[in-house]
Amino acid sequence: MKQPLTLKINGENRLLLVEPFYSLLDCLRDEARLTGSKKGCDEGDCGACTVLLDGKPVTSCLVLAHSAHDAEITTIEGLADVDGLSPVQKAFVEHGGLQCGFCIPGLIMSATGFLQANPEPTEEDVRFAIGGNLCRCTGYNRVVEAIMAAAAEMRESA
Amino acid sequence: MTTTTQFKVLEQNHPRVDAYEKVTGRAAYASDVYLPGMLACKLLPSERNHARIVSIDTGAAAALPGVRAVVTGTDFPDVRFGSGALRDRYVMPREVVNFVGEPIAAVAADDEATAQEAIELIKVEYEDIPSVVNPLAAMVDGAASVHPDLESYEGYGFTLGHNVSTLLDADRGDVEQAFRDADVVVEDVYRSQGINQGFLEPMACVADVEPSGRLVIYASTQGPYQIRAGLAAVLEMPVSRIRIVPMELGGGFGAKLRLAFEAFPALLAMRTGRPVKLVNTREEVFTMNGPRLPVTNYVRSGVMNDGTIVAREAYTIFDVGAYLGAGPNSGIGHGIGAYRIPNFRLRSYGVYTNKIYVGSYRASGVADMTFAVESHMDHIAHEIGMDPYDLRLHNALREGDVSVSGAVVPSNGLIETLEAIKETMEWPRQLEDGHGLGLALCEWRSGSGPSTAAISINDDGTVSLLTGSTDISGSDTSLAAIAAEALGIPMSSVIVAKRDTDMAPYTGQSGGSRVVYSQGTAVQRAAEDTVQKLMALAAERLGVPEDALGCEDGRVYVMDNEPQGLTFVQLAAASITSRGGPIIGTAALSSMPYTPVFAAQAAEVKVDRDTGQIKLLRYVQAQDVGVAINPMAVEGQLDGGVVQGIGRALTEDQQFDPDNGAVRNPSFASYLMPLAIDLPEIEDVLIRVPAEDGPFGARAVAEPPGFGPPAAIANAVYDAVGVRVKQLPLSGERVLAALNGEYDDIPFDVEALRLAEGII
Repeated sequence: MKQPLTLKINGENRLLLVEPFYSLLDCLRDEARLTGSKKGCDEGDCGACTVLLDGKPVTSCLVLAHSAHDAEITTIEGLADVDGLSPVQKAFVEHGGLQCGFCIPGLIMSATGFLQANPEPTEEDVRFAIGGNLCRCTGYNRVVEAIMAAAAEMRESA
Repeated sequence: MTTTTQFKVLEQNHPRVDAYEKVTGRAAYASDVYLPGMLACKLLPSERNHARIVSIDTGAAAALPGVRAVVTGTDFPDVRFGSGALRDRYVMPREVVNFVGEPIAAVAADDEATAQEAIELIKVEYEDIPSVVNPLAAMVDGAASVHPDLESYEGYGFTLGHNVSTLLDADRGDVEQAFRDADVVVEDVYRSQGINQGFLEPMACVADVEPSGRLVIYASTQGPYQIRAGLAAVLEMPVSRIRIVPMELGGGFGAKLRLAFEAFPALLAMRTGRPVKLVNTREEVFTMNGPRLPVTNYVRSGVMNDGTIVAREAYTIFDVGAYLGAGPNSGIGHGIGAYRIPNFRLRSYGVYTNKIYVGSYRASGVADMTFAVESHMDHIAHEIGMDPYDLRLHNALREGDVSVSGAVVPSNGLIETLEAIKETMEWPRQLEDGHGLGLALCEWRSGSGPSTAAISINDDGTVSLLTGSTDISGSDTSLAAIAAEALGIPMSSVIVAKRDTDMAPYTGQSGGSRVVYSQGTAVQRAAEDTVQKLMALAAERLGVPEDALGCEDGRVYVMDNEPQGLTFVQLAAASITSRGGPIIGTAALSSMPYTPVFAAQAAEVKVDRDTGQIKLLRYVQAQDVGVAINPMAVEGQLDGGVVQGIGRALTEDQQFDPDNGAVRNPSFASYLMPLAIDLPEIEDVLIRVPAEDGPFGARAVAEPPGFGPPAAIANAVYDAVGVRVKQLPLSGERVLAALNGEYDDIPFDVEALRLAEGII
């Protein structure tokens, strides 16, 4: 039976009715109607559902919704503000780091979490950081280029 | 080569028109559709690969609280459909199941968990029928029949052999004489594995019934009009009662060209009067929706000592699984590759087996054939002691040659792509032990088919562009760029309309490298029609003849007196009260001339002799794109295509149970697609020999990049350690076995095929 659960999502407390067996991903999509996080496999293999839990990237399909009640949850919807896109989002747009776009929210969340902890990555670091994110369209070239550009941009404006 | 300075919009990088939606999570895919009162649909997969359904008891499932409807095969009209002419398939089996995973019942319930619980309550009694899983075994007389009544099916054509769905052939010249005249005859058999398309967005759709009774499908599709036609056939409804709303497409690569599972939620929505959503799990994507199945290619060439190839024979045995889900083409038309070979005999047998049906994937079959032909080219080169590059250059198609289909080859950049690869990869090059270089040529044609476009002018001088094709990998952005270039306005002044099958004119599918070339031509012509109407209106208002006018930068002006003119804003306003009314430019076409696309690719690898593992050090591709509409998008297509090919070469391997044909690795953890960490940076060289047809000289882009890697890497492995692996993928295990002198046995009885045809 659905039970009430308060989650802090993108800085806002949301009171939701959630089945005990719901993953954080199902809760975000079906209950909070934040559909930016994508369900590509529901098995932790593709990374399309990646969100930040207290700043760290996790595959939200492998996290039980009720276990996230103490955490700060950041989803793709929480990155842009009224001033515009985040540096990572902007770099993906400018460098053409996206095609069909289904894996992109997860890639952007992985990159965002990674760059917060590693502001000066090498290209190889970036390739490892997104090693849990499958993308079938881009071949990763432009994704890596975008993340490297975002890192440079973030260092400059820091 | 051409100069690119003449363009104001093309040949410059433009962010995608949908980029903001996609990086913010706002882009809506079919699974993101939530409608009031929406039910969830789940499917029951068959447990058997060939069996009669004695009974299906859905009583307990239907009685479960929260379940709103249950349907099985007999709830659908008794009609077969197909992916082409041959109608070999029920949308849901009525009496007989043909593969493990085939959906045999569908449930609609208040939520997904309840629907799944109901699925598990359905009791099915099967009666097994003899089955066959291996296509070579299936062709033998006396083998189990997958479709015992095949010859009575609508659209069945002449074939040879048991369980053969389709037989394709192409012949030229005197093949037998040419083989007798040849100095050397080289013969090989290659085998490619099963491949999943690997799109990240699972198959998904939402069906809704409007109060008027019209069916609306929110779909993940490359072909909205094709889904509409398929649904109309299997539900016996007129197409006018169906509206398809294509949502953002989360990858398709051919898998979403046609009707898939839309009929199940559609019928459930009609039964319940409520919207019904179906989203496949990843396991269902792997086990229910057609992948590419294994292909065996036999290739034989007659060659002169100077390297001239005088004869080619190629036979394809192409496993189509339970149904011909992807049309009959197996890539056999690419059996002579990018070469001038005057005498050839090409045959392709599509063979039914009791496993998941074959689907389309990024130029279906051509990657398999390219692996065979381009590995074979290196084999020939080594047999006659010629450099593989020189052999390719010597035999490469030139302008004026005749293609397989008989069309004359127009101007193209094939030789330039080869030369670019030679230069970039520094071919030939002395390498250290265990390192090697390999080449492959790729060949395709720009896709054709019905294309339409309409352009209207808005009050502020911008334009709205309407086409029927769904966006595929940035095609909307490319179409906007073509419109902007032709109209003389910036990209930001083109709005690409979101569309559905009610509002947009009919168009072909988004696939086969068709959209930018054919649909783009329609857009260019619609833009030219728009300009002509603007000029006619301006001529009337300015009192000058039309031929005295020019059109540039959003303005029509008098060429002898540039300050005199009217902006698009003024013309839009004037058109409202003009004789012709508001401005709308249109164009439509049905087909386009043969326009080839060529690419050359090269791999540099290191092979570990102790483990057989291949490390890909460099990958370079040069492709003749004609003109790069949006270079950033073109390179994105090239990179993505090559990486799919690298997966095909090294790790991807859809495996099937040898006894019941079931997919054995239905997950991303067991079906291994390339990750960023597996890859070097892909190096792209764009060659620009403008096409004689196509928008502003652009050629198709998307398909060829994926063809080359299996052969280029296999050839590099041979160069590195002297073993020729003829079975994909080139796994460490397989390469190590080859290093120990053990090769896969790839049986192929070409004599039996020749004999059946009367060739002795």
